[in-house]
Amino acid sequence: MTIRNVRDHGQRFRPRMTCLKKVEAVILEMQDPKTGVKSQPQRLVITTIPHAITGEDIVAWLANRYSIQTEEACTLGRMLVAFGYIYPLQDHKRLIIKPDASLYRFQTPYFWPAQQWPVEDTDYAIYLAKRNIRKKGILEMYEQEQYNSLHKWMNHKWDFIVMQAKEQYRAGKERKKPDRVVFDCQERAYWVVHRPPPGTISAMDYGLERMVDPNAEEKQTSDFFRRTIIFTQQSIMRPRVKSSVSIGALVKYSITYNKHDPFLAPCLPSNPWLTDDVTYWMLNMTNVEIPTKMRVERWTFSFGELLADPRGRADFTLFLKKEFSGENLAFWEACEDLKWGTAATMNEKAQQIYKTFLARGAPRWINIDGKTMEVTVKGLKHPHRYVLDAAQTHIFMLMKKDSYGRYLKSPVFKETQKRAIDPEQHRFSVTQLEANAKKRRPSLSPIIVRQQEEEERARMATSGPVDITQLCRFTAPVPHLAVYSGPLSSPPFPLCLPHTPACPSPISVTIDSTPASERRWEEGVGGGEGGEADQVGEGTAVSSRSRMALSLGRLLRRGCSPSTVFASLSPKFPAPAGNSSRVQPISTDQIGQAPPRRIANFFQIKVDIPPECRIYPIDSEDEEESGGASKGGGGGEGGGEGQVKEIICPWESLTPHEGAG
Amino acid sequence: MANHLGTTDDEQAACQAQMNRWQRTVGEIQTRKRQVAECERALEALSKVTACFQQMATSVGSSSDSSSLREKTNDTRALAHKVCTGLHRKLVPLLAETVPGQEDRDKVEQLWVHFLTGLESLQQDLYKFGDLTDRFPLKQKNDRRALIKTGASDEFSGVAAQAASTQSPWVGTEVEQNPDLKTHITQIDAMIKEMLQKVSIPFWAVESTQEAWTEGVDFSDAADDQDETLEVEVVSQDGKMSGCCHPPNCKFGCMLCLLT
Repeated sequence: MTIRNVRDHGQRFRPRMTCLKKVEAVILEMQDPKTGVKSQPQRLVITTIPHAITGEDIVAWLANRYSIQTEEACTLGRMLVAFGYIYPLQDHKRLIIKPDASLYRFQTPYFWPAQQWPVEDTDYAIYLAKRNIRKKGILEMYEQEQYNSLHKWMNHKWDFIVMQAKEQYRAGKERKKPDRVVFDCQERAYWVVHRPPPGTISAMDYGLERMVDPNAEEKQTSDFFRRTIIFTQQSIMRPRVKSSVSIGALVKYSITYNKHDPFLAPCLPSNPWLTDDVTYWMLNMTNVEIPTKMRVERWTFSFGELLADPRGRADFTLFLKKEFSGENLAFWEACEDLKWGTAATMNEKAQQIYKTFLARGAPRWINIDGKTMEVTVKGLKHPHRYVLDAAQTHIFMLMKKDSYGRYLKSPVFKETQKRAIDPEQHRFSVTQLEANAKKRRPSLSPIIVRQQEEEERARMATSGPVDITQLCRFTAPVPHLAVYSGPLSSPPFPLCLPHTPACPSPISVTIDSTPASERRWEEGVGGGEGGEADQVGEGTAVSSRSRMALSLGRLLRRGCSPSTVFASLSPKFPAPAGNSSRVQPISTDQIGQAPPRRIANFFQIKVDIPPECRIYPIDSEDEEESGGASKGGGGGEGGGEGQVKEIICPWESLTPHEGAG
Repeated sequence: MANHLGTTDDEQAACQAQMNRWQRTVGEIQTRKRQVAECERALEALSKVTACFQQMATSVGSSSDSSSLREKTNDTRALAHKVCTGLHRKLVPLLAETVPGQEDRDKVEQLWVHFLTGLESLQQDLYKFGDLTDRFPLKQKNDRRALIKTGASDEFSGVAAQAASTQSPWVGTEVEQNPDLKTHITQIDAMIKEMLQKVSIPFWAVESTQEAWTEGVDFSDAADDQDETLEVEVVSQDGKMSGCCHPPNCKFGCMLCLLT
């Protein structure tokens, strides 16, 4: 009993079988007594069986009928045999056509490959059982395996299978001897086609099943015409490129990348897969100090290449920091983060990006044109993954046209270029190769690699140069809360927040204000690496002298972690540096309320600029400078509260004085 | 006194009732046994008819096709139909009566599974037969040109006779109309569906009674059908004639054996 769960409403068709109908037409022509391939009898010991055809006749007929060359006729003939419409009488296991005197015969239509009836395993089991009953030991290895497995899976109907096998055998015996021979040949050929021996290429292999029967004639209803019309309209509307242009682009690409192609150019110093020497991988690691010349050369190809390579991006970031225009790149990376990040954090990230980069008076305001800004802000009402695409593209083009050119001429790049190494091709002797092979070791586990990277980043965060403008809190547009940049060293109190030169994911600073983290923070865990493997990557090497410092330090340290939880500052970390009057110590009671407030935290950046120093108009109503009480919980509500300035997204409702939690 | 009489009467009545019950049960058991045996024979018959049908259906569309072949195939189909419906009629109540724990429950379930498999197999063959007859009609004179030259002859009397010799194990069943092909297929479809819904038996629980590598001990004259001889020559090695496998009603089989 076969379970047929799916009633076949024509829902499962095999895609490559469209040709079957056409092949059948060819076969019908071929076997025509007058105009088809001429047949001859096959002589066996005791009888002759008619209707055998030779391979060369088949090929000649095909070449003649379709006016094609002999090779093509051979291929066509091979296809006929592979599909099982013609079967060889000698060498029955190889489904090819030999254009000589070897004999073939047409397969009876009952055994033709059919679209609508997939070949049943039950029938195969019966066939194998029949052959085994007829003569023990006749089954080949793969057939025996199949037999055993079928016996296992069809155990419940095995008795029937054996019974049917016997009956079929008896029924077959009722026929005349030559017919029996013919039938046996036919059946054998059928199963060679549909259950090929292992290792042979079967013409019956097909991919996924289709929903539409490719052999069915489609009825030309109005719906059919409607679809045809739509299809042709869309074809007309498609943008086209002149072939000279596209070919020119291809040629240019080929010329540029010729030496970098892994197949066309040898791998320097040597291909690790071939020589077991991993120098190549070592030299090209993600955050290597000194890149290779080839790598640096790639950066000059296009801006996209530069950004795609993490080392290149790091170099570029360094350059931008020196130029004090890192916000563009930071914004671009923030957008990437949004695009590729998890869906759960998307909303918050979008908000955060807006507050940091796009809003008026934002700490790291980027300069995009009005129209794009308008579109983006509108889109942010219902944020999704690609809501910042327009702005991101704009900034990308800006960087490409402006900063990229300058970068390529800058001393930073020239220095990198000069220092880049050009390894020599290895020339290993045979013994050396063997020695290399013996020295093969598995590489580090990815977990350890990630931890190392985090530690590395944390270390670099503490040791990077200082970006002055980023730190000047009263000069806009980028206030001190360099959320996305910079590490915080264990610096003295008025904090200058250094930037990390090589921190590649600026946006990933987080204050993940989990209670635990806060508590830990409050304990003033200083020093140490941020080498925790948890997502948030808490860096804690901040002195506890200033809470802001601490918080920021943590912020910034975490910013270098691969985890890309969006940055936010909690209200507990109001403006750093010197604004002691404004320093609001974190009230301990806030610790226990992590979840709602965490969300609230994410949504705020408190810019604690004293009113008198405010340069940019803030459109929020946080005139009141109450104590920096923490915000209350609904995510996304920009409640004005506290002395801290908030940047509120304009679409958010302004709910003053939301209580905490 | 009266009491004694009454008790005796009661006892006697009770004894009698017990005896009746016992007799009834025995009778029931015997009936059931007979019915199960009938179903088994019917299943064998179905198997035989299906095999013959398949043998004939393989020639449809080939040069050995002819209207007489198609007639014979239809006759075989009618026979199959008869056997199927009869078996269906008998088996369903049998199964319905089966209580768990009954001795022959395994057997009956086996019959059920095999019947279903046989029905499916037959249905598949019917589909193919129908499709092929549509594809290769024989009405026009020129249609014979389209038939594929397969090298087989159009001698099917042996097979047809084999099929016709199937004895329906029960006599006196009402003669039903032989349905035409399409109706037949839909009927089988409906039968299968209905059977699946009516009785819920875990198919996979049925075990085979045969081992994996059954040898046909009675197919001793099989030596003349060795595979390797089919390729170039047919070596006729006549086996032992005594162990003729064919059932008693095989007239032609012995002739064939004689031939080789």
